[in-house]
Amino acid sequence: MNSLTHINIKVINPLPCQSAGLSGNTDAILHEILALLEAFVATGQTGAIDLHSLPLTVADYEVLRTTLGDGEVHAHINVIGKTEVRETLYPGVWWLTYYNMEEDIVADLLEVTTIPEILKSPAEDVREGLACLRDLTGAVTMM
Amino acid sequence: MNESDTLGASLVRSGVSRRSFLKFCTAMASLMALPPGAAYAMADALSRAQRQSVIWLSFQECTGCVESLTRSFDPTLEQMIFEMISLDYQETLQAASGEAAELARVEAMKSSYGKYLLIVDGSIPTKDGGVYSTVAGVSNYDRLIEMAKGAAAIVAVGTCSSYGGIPHANPNPTGAVSVSDIIKDKPVMNVPGCPPIPSVIAGTLAYFVTYGKLPELDHIGRPKVFYADTIHDRCYRRPFYDQGKFAKTFDDEGARNGWCLYELGCKGPTTYNACATIKWNGGVSYPIESGHGCLGCSEPNFWDNGSFYRPLSTPLASNTHIIAAGTLGGIAAGVVAAGLSRKHQTHIGEEK
Amino acid sequence: MDLLQFARGPALTWAATVFMFGITWRLVGILLLKRSPDFSEARNATSWLGAVKLIITRSWPRREFRQRTLFAQSLGYIFHVGLVIILFGFAPHILFFKALTGLGWPNLPSAFIQLTSGITLAALIVVLVRRLSHPVLRLLSNFDDYFSWLVTFTPVATGMLAVAHFGARYETLLAIHLLSVALLLVWFPFGKLMHSALIFISRGTTGALFERKGASI
Ligand code: SF4
Ligand code: SF4
Repeated sequence: MNSLTHINIKVINPLPCQSAGLSGNTDAILHEILALLEAFVATGQTGAIDLHSLPLTVADYEVLRTTLGDGEVHAHINVIGKTEVRETLYPGVWWLTYYNMEEDIVADLLEVTTIPEILKSPAEDVREGLACLRDLTGAVTMM
Repeated sequence: MNESDTLGASLVRSGVSRRSFLKFCTAMASLMALPPGAAYAMADALSRAQRQSVIWLSFQECTGCVESLTRSFDPTLEQMIFEMISLDYQETLQAASGEAAELARVEAMKSSYGKYLLIVDGSIPTKDGGVYSTVAGVSNYDRLIEMAKGAAAIVAVGTCSSYGGIPHANPNPTGAVSVSDIIKDKPVMNVPGCPPIPSVIAGTLAYFVTYGKLPELDHIGRPKVFYADTIHDRCYRRPFYDQGKFAKTFDDEGARNGWCLYELGCKGPTTYNACATIKWNGGVSYPIESGHGCLGCSEPNFWDNGSFYRPLSTPLASNTHIIAAGTLGGIAAGVVAAGLSRKHQTHIGEEK
Repeated sequence: MDLLQFARGPALTWAATVFMFGITWRLVGILLLKRSPDFSEARNATSWLGAVKLIITRSWPRREFRQRTLFAQSLGYIFHVGLVIILFGFAPHILFFKALTGLGWPNLPSAFIQLTSGITLAALIVVLVRRLSHPVLRLLSNFDDYFSWLVTFTPVATGMLAVAHFGARYETLLAIHLLSVALLLVWFPFGKLMHSALIFISRGTTGALFERKGASI
C-alpha cells in the first residue's frame, strides 16, 4: 500500500430512499411551487423555498432540474463569488444558486416572482451611479 | 439619524456593494433556517441600522475562537460581519497596545454606553481573587463586571466563556466559571463550541445587528437556530445507528463502510450543535464525516465526561474496586449470617 | 454534574456495589446454611442427576395441569426470553458489559431489539393485569410483587423511549433509563427478583432430595 488511493475507503451517504435514490421530497417541493405560483398569480404575493432546509439526494436535484428545466433567462452575478440566476421553464419560477469564492454553494433558493430582487439595480446604487456619471460628464465638458 | 451613519452607507463607502450585502443576508438567512423571504427584510433592516459597537474581551482562553472566526475558509462572506460591526476593542486584532488600547476600550464604553455588544471568549478564574488571569493589572472578574454594566447584551463565544470549558475541567485549579455564572442582570447568549463554527458566530452577530436583540435561546442559553438539534439528529451515519451497524475500531470493515461511530465513543446523541448541517472548513466535512466521533465540545463539562472513546451507554468510570469491595463485603456478611444461624441451630439442638 | 453524569457515574457505581453485596450475601448465606440431617437410607447414590432433571422438568408445564397453566407459563416465557434478548443482544448494552468485564460479543439488529422490547412490554402489562384481576393471585400478591414488576418494567419502557428519542431530550431519556436500571440493581437482591438466582438452587435441592428418596421426578 503505497498511496492513499490504495486504502479502500468507501463513505456512503445514505438518505432514506424510496426508489432510485429519491427521498420523496421533490414531490413536496413541486407541490409547494405550484401553491406559491397560484398565490402569486392570484394576489401578487411573492414566495421562496430554501432548498437547503430540506434533505435532498443527488437524484432529487436531478429530478428537480429536469422537471423545472431551463427557461429564457440565465444571469451571472459577480459579487463575493458568483451567483447564478436562472428562470425555469415556468415563467415566474426562478432558481438562484449562491456560491462563495471557493465555489461552495452557500444558499440555494427557488423564488416565485417576476424578477428576483438581487437582479434589480438597488435604487441607492442607481442614485450614486448617477452622481458619479454627472461628475464625470461635468469633468469632460469642462475640459 | 444621519443617513450617512447607516450601515448601508458605510458599507458602500468601504466598497461593499448592496448586492453583496443582500447575498450575505441570503446566506445567513439560509444558515439560520429563517424563512427565505427574511433575507430581504434582513438586508433592508441592516442597511438602515447603525454600525454596532462591539467590545471583545479575551479571558482565560487559547484564541482558538478568534482564529475560528477570522480564519474561516470563506473569508469574504463570513468576515463581512466585521464590516457590520465596529470592533472597538479586541486584544488580538487591534493595532493599539498598552495604554492606548486600554484608552480605546474606555472611550468605546463611554461613547456607546448601554448600547454596545460585549463579546467574551475564555472563562473567568475566581480562585485566589482571580489572580490567575489579569489584563493590564485588572483581574478578568473585575473587568467583566465593569464592562458588563454598559453592555446591551453579552455574547459568550466558545465553550470556555459559555460553560467554563477546559479551564473548568476537573480539578479546575483556577476556579474557572462562565460568564453567566457571574452576570445575572444582562441578557447573555452562549455560542459554545471548541471552537464554535465561524458561520455560527457570524450568524448570531448578524442576527443581533439586524434585530437589535438576541435570538431565541435554549435552556442553557444557546441560540436555538443553531443548537436545536443534536449532531446525531442530523448525522448522515444515523441509518447505520438505527440498524445497529457499528464500527468497532477505526480501521475495521465497519469503519471503511462508514458505519456509526457510537461504539468508538461518539457523543453526537447528546451534543447540540450545527456541525452536521453547516459543517467545517467552508462546508468540507465535519468530524464524523472524517471518521472520528463527536467529542461533545458544545456541551457543559464535555471535558469531564470520561474518555472521548468511551461509549455513551457505559459507566463513566470503572470503579471496579468499589464494586469488588461490595462483593467481598457480601461474602463476609453471608458467612457471618450462616455462622449465626448454625450456632442458633446447634443451640436449639442442645436444648432438646 | 448533570443528570446523565450522575447516572453514568455515582448512581451506577453504587447501585452495582449494592447489587453485588446483596447477591453474594444472600447466596453465601443460604448455601452455607446447615442442612438438617437425613437419617433415611439413600435409594440412589448420586443425587445431582435428580437436581438437573427437576430443573428441566419443572420448567415445562405438567401434562395434568397443562390447560390451566399454559397461558401463564407462556406469558412468563415470553417476557423472560425477551428480557434476555434485550439485555444481551442490544449493542449499547454489550458495550456496557464490555466496559465492566472486558467481554464483548456480536449484537443483534436494533430493529429486532425494538420489536422484542415491544412484545416484552406487552407481556409484562398482561402479567400485571392478570395479577390484578385474578382473585387468588391478587390475595397472594404483596408490595414486593408489584415493586419488582415496576423495576423490571421501567428500564424496558425508558430504554425504548431513549432509543426512539421520544418524549424528551436523548440525554435526559438515557439518564432516566440508567437511573431506572440503578433502581433495579438495588432492589434485585432483596426482593423477589432474586428468584432468578435462587430458583435453580431451590429446584436443584428439591430434585436432589427426590432422587435420594427415589421419588419420581
Ligand atoms: S456517528 Fe455519532 S452522531 Fe452519527 S449516528 Fe452514530 S452516534 Fe449518532
Ligand atoms: S462534531 Fe461534536 S466535538 Fe466536533 S466540533 Fe462538532 S460538536 Fe464539537
